[in-house]
Amino acid sequence: MTGLDDPILPTSIAWGLLAAFSVLWVVLGWWLGRRNKTAEDHMLAGRNVGLALATATAMATWVTANTTMTAPQLALQLGVWGMLGYSLGALGLILFAPLARRIRELMPEGFTSGDFIRLRYGKFTWRVFLVVSLIYAFGWLVSMAMAGGVLINALAGIDYRVGMTVILTVCVLYTLLGGLRAVIGTDFIQTVIIIAGAAFIAWLTIDKVGFEAIHFNLMEERPELLSLLFPAAIMFLFNNLLFGVGEIFHSNVWWSRAFAFGRNVGFRAYLFGGLLWLPIPIVAGFIALATPALGINVPAADMVGPLVAAEVLGLTGAIVVFIVVFAALASSLDSLLAATSDLVTRDIYRGHIRPQASEQHQFHATKVIVVLLGLLTWLAASYRGEIPIVGSLAELLYFTGAFVASAIWPIVAGLYWKKANPQGAAWSMILGSGIGLTSYFLIGFYVAALVGAAVSLAVMVLTTWLMPRPFDWGRLARSDAEVPA
Amino acid sequence: MRLIRPLLPFLLWLPLAVSAQPAFDAPPERSTDGGFTLAWEADGPVVLEQATGPDHGDARTLYEGGDTSTVISGLPDGEYRFRLRAADADAWADEATVVVEHHSLARAFGFFAVGAVVFLVLIGAILRGRPRD
Repeated sequence: MTGLDDPILPTSIAWGLLAAFSVLWVVLGWWLGRRNKTAEDHMLAGRNVGLALATATAMATWVTANTTMTAPQLALQLGVWGMLGYSLGALGLILFAPLARRIRELMPEGFTSGDFIRLRYGKFTWRVFLVVSLIYAFGWLVSMAMAGGVLINALAGIDYRVGMTVILTVCVLYTLLGGLRAVIGTDFIQTVIIIAGAAFIAWLTIDKVGFEAIHFNLMEERPELLSLLFPAAIMFLFNNLLFGVGEIFHSNVWWSRAFAFGRNVGFRAYLFGGLLWLPIPIVAGFIALATPALGINVPAADMVGPLVAAEVLGLTGAIVVFIVVFAALASSLDSLLAATSDLVTRDIYRGHIRPQASEQHQFHATKVIVVLLGLLTWLAASYRGEIPIVGSLAELLYFTGAFVASAIWPIVAGLYWKKANPQGAAWSMILGSGIGLTSYFLIGFYVAALVGAAVSLAVMVLTTWLMPRPFDWGRLARSDAEVPA
Repeated sequence: MRLIRPLLPFLLWLPLAVSAQPAFDAPPERSTDGGFTLAWEADGPVVLEQATGPDHGDARTLYEGGDTSTVISGLPDGEYRFRLRAADADAWADEATVVVEHHSLARAFGFFAVGAVVFLVLIGAILRGRPRD
């Protein structure tokens, strides 16, 4: 039986690949971002991104470390339902398509998701939203930095902290140089790499191991993974769907793209992006089910994807996995760094600390904040396995599920319900997050988002019904309009 | 005392010279999803076995090598026994027992139904599209 004590990728090749792709992304970032002169250029790429680039960035950003590495982890832990349930995350992108169109119509001059909450619900709800949004963004950033370190450690045996530091540094560097324009440009190339690489790995896995051997060994050693009545997996299905919806609906990663895409592009871009994304977790997750047939030891659940791929496919497979996951990681880390720094600059720095900050001042602040976010992420990811929540990728990710799923209804009601009121929105996030987190600890990671979304819906419907407060949609078009109390 | 003094350095090193036995590192007692991670501390390669009875009559080797943890998943309800020894030793060094008791199907489908309702309301809210002015 093989394990982590005999890595497949020689250290010299791993360092060579890491260096080559690091240089490629940083140079591309510099080249694509060289014309950025203002904060608006840097943050929203001139608000005129076309359909091809828009679809690619939606799909590539949603193919994250979580897709390529957590999907196999969930297949290993929750079986066939875990794998299929993860692919339901595509519905987040698909359902955001009509929202993107509405956002662009209502807020032609908008910058961030925080702008929307501030103008729609006022300052208290805005602050609650910022807490929810930043907890999620930080959890996602740390989970991806962790994934980078785990990947390099699993494939090449390079120390986790060293690999994590290198990947994080590269992403900070090119996001710093190019802003959203660089992020979207590199996403396009990374999409091509991800689709081609994932298809190649799946084809080789089926060809080399075969369905029969996979099925036989699972039945012998891990029969629940094939059971359609696996209780935890049944609980997980809608949890994952609502988690994905919550992630996309509230996060500035997707709102900044809705603002950046050209008119009439957002709807189609998110729809096509979701459809392209749908099969990726099934392909990535499937290979984890080959673990018993291959006799591979999996020391940590989040390592299973790269370990199995490298074992089945040998050196070539290890190289392909390395490139695909590095591309997936980079395409999401950069997007999240860029979108989170925009949110912090616009909603915390300009919104709370220096309201009179000039365009140029915000431009510089965005860059300083990217570096600070990178440093904080590095610090938290350094303690993988030592802090309870920062255990495995899935545990960390689904911890944030309670927060994001509780933000679904304030966003949807805010965009479509004229009478949704600020108190209802704030309390649906507070109670949804609180009760969702309680269920995370009392029941399991696979119900936190579901409970958060259900509580948030109940609070939002009840408060809108009991305390209706009509809203003038025209206020959203004026990004600097006075906010309601 | 004069006799012991020259031996002191050797006596101090004695505990380190005896290699530590492999031992499980805080193994879980229960699991509600049929999965958990077993970790252990060992100086070298180990052999890990899994069985369902106290006599380890149906034991099978789960892992043999230099890693210090393994992920177990997909187990049905039951009591599972694990034992660990150094690869070059005959005697078993440590044992752990984990009880797997899955959530009830009633609870699972309860959560499933809540999720389905939230999802359908969401679809309805978005499909209605335009705000109700």
